Amino acid sequence: MRTAAAKIAQSLGLILAVIVLNFSLIHLAPGDPAVVIAGESGAASPETLAQVRADYGLDKPFVTQLGIYVGQVARGDLGESFFFGRSVTSLIADRLWPTVLLVGTALIFAIVLGVMAGTFTARRPESPASHAVTVLALIGYSMPVFWTGILLVILFASVLKILPISGMHDVEFDGGLLASWLDVARHLVLPALTLGVIYLAQYSRLSRASMLEVLQSDYIRTARAKGLAEKVVVYKHALRNAVIPVVTIAGLQFGALLSGALLVETVFNWPGLGRLAFDSILRRDTPVLLGVLLMAAVMVVVANLLTDLLYRVIDPRIRVGARRTRTKVST
Amino acid sequence: MANSDPPLLSVRELTVTFDAFTAVDRVSFDLHEGQTLAVVGESGSGKSVTALSIMRLVELGTRGRITGGEILFRLPDGAVIDLIQQSESVMRDMRGNNISMIFQEPLTSLNPVYTVGNQVAEAVMLHQGLDRAEAMDRALEVFELVRIPEARQRLGEYPHQLSGGMRQRVMIAMALSCDPTVLIADEPTTALDVTIQAQILGLMRELQNETNAAVIIITHDMGVVAEVADDVVVMNQSRVVEQGSVYDIFERPAEPYTRALLASVPQLGSMAGRDEPARFDLVGEA
Repeated sequence: MRTAAAKIAQSLGLILAVIVLNFSLIHLAPGDPAVVIAGESGAASPETLAQVRADYGLDKPFVTQLGIYVGQVARGDLGESFFFGRSVTSLIADRLWPTVLLVGTALIFAIVLGVMAGTFTARRPESPASHAVTVLALIGYSMPVFWTGILLVILFASVLKILPISGMHDVEFDGGLLASWLDVARHLVLPALTLGVIYLAQYSRLSRASMLEVLQSDYIRTARAKGLAEKVVVYKHALRNAVIPVVTIAGLQFGALLSGALLVETVFNWPGLGRLAFDSILRRDTPVLLGVLLMAAVMVVVANLLTDLLYRVIDPRIRVGARRTRTKVST
Repeated sequence: MANSDPPLLSVRELTVTFDAFTAVDRVSFDLHEGQTLAVVGESGSGKSVTALSIMRLVELGTRGRITGGEILFRLPDGAVIDLIQQSESVMRDMRGNNISMIFQEPLTSLNPVYTVGNQVAEAVMLHQGLDRAEAMDRALEVFELVRIPEARQRLGEYPHQLSGGMRQRVMIAMALSCDPTVLIADEPTTALDVTIQAQILGLMRELQNETNAAVIIITHDMGVVAEVADDVVVMNQSRVVEQGSVYDIFERPAEPYTRALLASVPQLGSMAGRDEPARFDLVGEA
């Protein structure tokens, strides 16, 4: 329990540092939000600008502004969007779950398929199918996200015409709950595939290497010497050990996956946080941008905590404190 | 050796190759019920490959291929089968059941992510068709058989929570869990420190008296041979160079290689009267 409390305290400190850093960086960036806000209302006379600055607290010194912002965030208030005139928390709440859905699907797809492909190729490293998977993985790994996205759009939406390429729902859609889930799922296929393909390629290589090593280990020989079928040897005894490095890397890469989501959401017009961040940059909508960046930091921190947890489930050697490691008793 | 019973295991002209290299060259020996046979030789002499070939494990996970000979094994019902001719599924029935094996490295021979109790129970469930609870009871029985203290508590522990000697006891328990007629121990004490070695060897000898299993012990240590073996097969460069009873081998070694192996064991008191340590002759110079 003490380690859990320490981890949470550490995470909160990290998030505070992220808030300060983001706020400072955006403050340093060129462009005056007051001009944007005033521009929205049409007339940007010096008097209006001064009025806007006073209204939004933009005339106060930087440190005071920062202090006010941190205080607001601590109370759960992320401010108000310059552009929408709505609270940033409600904007983020609308956009959060599409991103979680997209990133989560891509990640699970990449891990599950990657580990399956890696296991398959490790069992028959010299077979033609194994070489084919290796080549495909290299191609998948080399393609930039937006390029993969465009190719998939051309193939599935223009040539085959079987999947939608934009948005999350059909415009003229009406039907029951299940049908609406299916509709979202259909829209999800291409973006998730695009986002996941690079990681799929990486995880298949990683789990192949890891599996090859594990299959050479002494405890695999022990498992075979027990008379276990090869399937049990591979999927029960080897897989759980081979998957440990994949979990580590997947946890570390979660941040990169989120920034990949920004590109994918833009290409596929997916109404998630990445798209919101991108639009907010164009609109100089600083409160929204800061809110999204904070949300991304929180998601990365949560993902890392989950990775830690999963690690403990998979590998008993890491369960420090779960059970007192006994003092070694010699025979 | 005088033994009129038909052998339990008879290895005839066994030949195993790794690509172009012949790792085991026409090796033959017999193993009888209750007998302990030591296969000795230096690293790379082919003794471990011989052991893995009897289990037909040399074809799984290594590039080795059995290219000749036969391995005749007498089943509990008296029928004799050639293990080399058996399908993989028949071999799976044999492994861990009729013939089981203990390995050199207790530290790495157990799966780190499963409890030791589970790993022993797994073999029991597989071969004896028991359910999980019954298999765990059997695991507890064999843990007690190999004198693991606080056996019930140990069942739920992971390998990293046990010492090297304890882990080797777990390996032995696992090997004995299905009452095999042949137990192959591949350098079972090499990775352990000297006091634990003596305990494990003593345990194996006691267990053999209790279970009457035939044991093949693979080692390079003539001290171990003297301790446990009835008969000895000496291997060098993939071939059997000499075999006989342990008394014959120690009394009248016929081959220069056997003599060199024996000479490699330092004798207690052989340095009496010297002021400083003496260097031993290297094998080959002897």
